[in-house]
Amino acid sequence: MAFDLESVKNYLAAYDGPTVRIMEVCGSHTAAISKLGIPSLLSEKIQLISGPGCPVCVTPTAYIDRLIDLSLTEGCAVCTFGDLLRVPGSRDREVRTLNLAKGKGGKVYMLYSPMDILPLAEQHPETTWYFAAVGFETTTPVYALLLQALEEQGITNVKLVTALKTMPAVIAWLCENDAQIDAFLAPGHVSVVTGSKVFRPLAERYRLPFVVSGFQGGELLAAIYGAVRSVGQGQVLNLYPSVVTEQGNCEAQDLVSHYFQPCSAVWRGMGEIPGSGMMLRPAFSAFEGGSAGLNRDNANPACSCGAVLSGKLRPGDCPLFGRGCNPMNPQGACMVSTEGSCFQYFTNHRDR
Amino acid sequence: MCVALPGRVTAVEGRVATVDFSGNIVQTQAGLVPVKPGDWVLVHAGCILQTVSSSEAEELTDIFREVEELGV
Repeated sequence: MAFDLESVKNYLAAYDGPTVRIMEVCGSHTAAISKLGIPSLLSEKIQLISGPGCPVCVTPTAYIDRLIDLSLTEGCAVCTFGDLLRVPGSRDREVRTLNLAKGKGGKVYMLYSPMDILPLAEQHPETTWYFAAVGFETTTPVYALLLQALEEQGITNVKLVTALKTMPAVIAWLCENDAQIDAFLAPGHVSVVTGSKVFRPLAERYRLPFVVSGFQGGELLAAIYGAVRSVGQGQVLNLYPSVVTEQGNCEAQDLVSHYFQPCSAVWRGMGEIPGSGMMLRPAFSAFEGGSAGLNRDNANPACSCGAVLSGKLRPGDCPLFGRGCNPMNPQGACMVSTEGSCFQYFTNHRDR
Repeated sequence: MCVALPGRVTAVEGRVATVDFSGNIVQTQAGLVPVKPGDWVLVHAGCILQTVSSSEAEELTDIFREVEELGV
């Protein structure tokens, strides 16, 4: 009989070996797993843990505050992806989020692509346009393309406020800080850019399997099967071969390292992790929108985002979850972003 | 945030490619990977990150072949 989706589903439902804890690091994986009801197909001995892979969720409040202040400053406008609009910073209640700041007259624009800032900047040369450059390795090349276009077109009224993060250092941090994880689902679209090779040193150092996965149900189940079968082995499995290669997109990597350099970065609930971020190289400081030092994190002290993001607490175990914190009235970033663990657990009634 | 969707290139002009996502036509940046009309591509935030080398069905067959080697 052919080995197929049914074989994988039967195995995962009947699994009765030692408990396996698998972390999906990517927020898009968390969203897909929750929407598809994947946990309901798994034996109780297979636990899926959401990791710190939603860039909006791991961004400290000082960054949001900086964007809000800029949006309310004469001659400035802030452009962002939609995820960031409702994330609370630590300013007064009336302007706690970018959306609220917009209601108070702040200039806030939601864009699909960073490149969409180009026509705005050309049409309104009197305004300085700030892009909220958040994201992981997947998104950083798009900012590099934007910088390239700005240089080529001689546009000087666009700046980036960066909160760019990279995966390997934060995964190492989790492994060093008692996360009790037996395998990782490696982020699929990060891997498109970086190549599956970036996970090899981690797999070897911590003797953990890293399974690169796609986002469809069959792909995710195959990846979970791959992870369960490989526990204890420090190896990388690429189960998203239609777009992920060992080396990744080298052109994108070169363009990113032309404009950006590694830096230390602050992750909500995890603190400062050396080498876990990217910042503009000093040679391109003309495009710098004041990204340095935005490290303070004054989130609601009752909010357990930090423990949720590092896999130590399930969203439902946070004292605020569903009790004062829900997608209509989010207290922490994890309940705001459509890729946040809390948002996904809440909206999909996920309890495991 | 790292959401990326597959679509098909219908035209290329310089570093801008027109991509058809099931009838939704979007102008995308093609500066990171060479593409031509007819290619399936993976698009993130208006930018082509990679060409897609096989169909979803072919990929699933490949994946199950690969995990089968891990044993049951």
